[in-house]
Amino acid sequence: MTTNGANGDDWTPGVLDGVKVLDLTWFGAGPICTRTLAGMGADLVRVETAKRPDGLRVAPPRPVGAEGLNLSGYYNNFNSDKKSITIDLTTERGHELGIELVKWADIMMTNFTPRAIRQIGMSWETIQEANPGIIAVYQTMQGMTGLHSEFGGFGAVLSTVCGVNYLAGSEVNPPAGVGTNYPDYVVNPIHGVTAILAALFHQRRTGEGQMIDMSQLESSVAATAGPLFAFANGGGEHLRMGNHVPYAAPHSAYQVRDRGDRLDLWLAIGCVEDEQWRRLAAVCGHEEWADDVRFASVTDRKANEDALDALISAWAVEQDGDAALEALQAAGVPAGLVLNATEVLADEQLVAREYFRYLDHSEAGRRAYDGAGFKMSLTPCEPQRAAPLLGEHTFEIASEILGLSSDEIGGLMAEQVLF
Amino acid sequence: MAMALEGVRILDASGPIGHYAGRLLADLGADVIKVEPPNGDPARRWAPFLPEVEAPESALQFLLLNASKRGVTVDLTQPRGRELYLKLVKTADVVIDSLSPAEAARLQLTTNDLVAVKADLIHTSVTGWGLTGPRANWAYSDIVGCAMSGVMHLAGQSDGPPEQLPDMQGYHGASINAAAGTMGALVYHQATGQGQRVEVSMQEALSIAQETAMMQADILGTNRERGVPMRGLNMPGSGLHDAADGHVFLVASGLAGSGFVGLLGFMQETNDQQDLDQDPYDTFIHESMNTNFIMAMAADPEQAAPLMERLGHMDEVVRAFCRKHPKRYLYEEGQRRRILVGVVNTPQDILDSAQLKERDWFVDLDDPGRGVTLRYPGPQWQLQGTPATLRRPAPLLGEHNDELFAEVGVDVGELAELVSAGVVSS
Repeated sequence: MTTNGANGDDWTPGVLDGVKVLDLTWFGAGPICTRTLAGMGADLVRVETAKRPDGLRVAPPRPVGAEGLNLSGYYNNFNSDKKSITIDLTTERGHELGIELVKWADIMMTNFTPRAIRQIGMSWETIQEANPGIIAVYQTMQGMTGLHSEFGGFGAVLSTVCGVNYLAGSEVNPPAGVGTNYPDYVVNPIHGVTAILAALFHQRRTGEGQMIDMSQLESSVAATAGPLFAFANGGGEHLRMGNHVPYAAPHSAYQVRDRGDRLDLWLAIGCVEDEQWRRLAAVCGHEEWADDVRFASVTDRKANEDALDALISAWAVEQDGDAALEALQAAGVPAGLVLNATEVLADEQLVAREYFRYLDHSEAGRRAYDGAGFKMSLTPCEPQRAAPLLGEHTFEIASEILGLSSDEIGGLMAEQVLF
Repeated sequence: MAMALEGVRILDASGPIGHYAGRLLADLGADVIKVEPPNGDPARRWAPFLPEVEAPESALQFLLLNASKRGVTVDLTQPRGRELYLKLVKTADVVIDSLSPAEAARLQLTTNDLVAVKADLIHTSVTGWGLTGPRANWAYSDIVGCAMSGVMHLAGQSDGPPEQLPDMQGYHGASINAAAGTMGALVYHQATGQGQRVEVSMQEALSIAQETAMMQADILGTNRERGVPMRGLNMPGSGLHDAADGHVFLVASGLAGSGFVGLLGFMQETNDQQDLDQDPYDTFIHESMNTNFIMAMAADPEQAAPLMERLGHMDEVVRAFCRKHPKRYLYEEGQRRRILVGVVNTPQDILDSAQLKERDWFVDLDDPGRGVTLRYPGPQWQLQGTPATLRRPAPLLGEHNDELFAEVGVDVGELAELVSAGVVSS
C-alpha cells in the first residue's frame, strides 16, 4: 500500500513503503499500533474471523438503529489503511495459510494471550522457522514468561494493575480510574511503534529479525512511573492528588460561568514558574496575591494550596471561559478549557492543522478519524483510507498474496476456512 | 549484545515535555546528549526530591526521565552559546527540542537554521500545540494538554471536577509520539539519506485517548460525560468492587474469558454464591449472560428494565463476595479461572509484584555522582535481539561539558572563558 491520495496525483513517499505487516491484533492497543504503521505506508494485512470478531466491531458508537459489523466508530477509527482477510486460523488449512502470510511479512504483531497464540500456532519458534528475518511482536498483558503471563485483560483491567487507578483522582473518591481504558490508546500502541521501528532499523543494518516481548503491564508502569520512582527511592508518597502535582501550584481545574446551554465548563490552569503565577494574579485583577507571603514560592503555594485554590475558584466562577482563556494566554499563563469531544472536533487549532481526517467508508459514510500523533514533513503519515469491512479483502489477499485460484478460494470458503 | 540505535547521536534540548522521548531512544542505544541552560533544566527544581542529595541533583522526576543520557550546559540565548550548540548539532543525527515558533525565531534555531549546519538532520519538535496554527505560541503545561485534547472531560466523578491523567501523561503522550516519529525518520534516513522534521503537538498526541468520545460526537452528535459508564448500563460482575483490603476491577459479564459462569463457579468454591446457583438465576447466568445479551441490553436499556431487579441482586451477591476476600486472592485466583479481574495496585504492590520480580524487571543502578543507588522501572519492551537497557544515571549539571566540547574543538582555555561568560556552567 502506498500513501496514495484518492486520485493518485498527490503521492508522497512513506517511511514504510513496501514493508509488509501481518496484523493479528484486536481491540485497542494492537490495532492502533498497526494503524500507525499503515499510516506510514506499510502494507497491512489484518486477519480476522467472523466466528469471533474483534469486540470493537460490535461496540458502540454506531448510527442509531444500525446493525452490522462494519459500522462501529470505535473499530473503524483504529483500523484505517488496513486490508482485512477472514481466516479461521484454528483449522489446519487456515493455519497453513497463516504461515504463508508469515512468510510474506516483514513484521508480525499480535496482542492475544500466550494461550491463544499457541492455539493459532503462532509461537515465535514456529514463525521464526517459517521466516528467519521476521520481526515478531507479542504485545501480551504481562509478557510471554512469568507466573502471570496467562492473565487476561484489556485497558480497563490493566489500568488497575499498572497503578493508574490508584494514582488518578482524589483521595476522597474510590480509585475508579480516568474514565477510559487509557493505556490502550497512546502508551501501549505508540511504545509498540517505537520498538518495532527500532527493530526494523536494526534489521536493515544486519539482516537480523527478532522477537519483541512487550508486556503491556511493564510498558504501562514505565510510562506512569514518576510517583512509583519517588516512592521507591525515599521521595515520599505523591498519590491520588486529583488535579494537583507535587511540583507546581496553582495547578487545577476551576469552574467558569455556564455558556448558554454549555454547563459544567472548567478552565485548567497549571503555573509551573513563579512568573506565571504573578501574571495569573494580575489577570485576575489581584496583583496583591503575588505579594502574599503564603504564595511567594512554589513551596509556599503548595503549603497553602487550599487557600490559593479558593481565591482562584472564586474569581473563575464569575468569568466567561473563552474570555478568561484569551486573557490568560495573552499574559503567557498556561491555561486551557476542558473541552468536550464536540468542541475538540471543532477546535480552531486542530482544524487549522487538519488533525482530524474525514474518510469515506462504504457502509459507515464519511467519518472523522484521529490523525497521526506526529507529523512528518517529508513522509506524511496521516490516515488515508477508511477501515476495511470484515473480510473485504479476503479474495484479493488470497489470490494476490497467497496465490490461490478462484476455485481454491471458493472451496476454502465452502469449508469455512476463509469466509 | 548489540543495541538497536548504536551509532545514532541525538541532542535532546527539550524541556520537560520531551524528556521521556530522549530517554526511550537512549535506552535503545542512541547516544543522547541532554542540553540544558547553565542553571539547569526547569525539572531539576521540581519536587519530589531525593533526601540527603543537594539541588540541582535531587529532583526525582528529572533523574527518572534523563537517565541513560549524557549532559551539557549551554546558554542558547547568547551568541557564543548558540555557536557552540550548532557545533554539537553538526555532530548529531537528531535534534529534539521544544521551542515554540516564536522562541525558535528569536534564537535563530528554526528547522532551517539547524539544517543549514547539518543538511540531513532529523529535527523533532515537541510542543503543546505544534508549530503551526493560531495557537502555536500559546503557553502550556501538562494539565492544559489533558484539558484541550478532550481526555480530561471524561475523567472524574459526575458530581466532581474533571480530572487530569496522572503522572504527566500529556507530556509523556507527546514524548512517546516524538520517539515513534523520530524512529520513523531514522528508518527513512537509513534508506534515503534524507532528514526531515517530526512535529508533535501534545493536544493532538492525546486526542485518540478520548476512546469513543470523538467518534460518538461525530456519529451521534452527543458527548460522553465523566462518571457515566461507556455502555450506559452497570452489569453485575462489572466494574470497580471493594475487596476486604482494597479494590478489584471485574469484567466478568461475558465479554471475554470465562465470564459470569466462571465467576459463579469461583464464588461457589467458598460458598459465597447465595441463591445464584438456583433458578431463575442459574439458567439466566448460563443462557443469557453473554456478549450478545450485553450488547443488546446496552443498545436498548429499556429492554433491560424488567431485568433490573434480577441484575441488581446478582450485583449485590458479587459485591458481598468481593468484600469478604483479599484483593490479591480475587485477582490471582480469579485470573487462574480465566475471569477478567484486575487489582487496584498501590506503588508498594507494584514493587512487590511477583510477576515483575520473576521477570527481573526493576533495575537497581549505582549513581556515584550523587552517592546513591536508585531503583528504576525496567524497560517498556524486551527486544530479544537488541535489549533496551538503562545505561547510566541522569547527568549531573554540565557533567559532560569537558568531553563533549573538546570533541567539537573547544580547548581548555576557551572553555574557561565560556564558563566565566556564563555561556556554560562550571
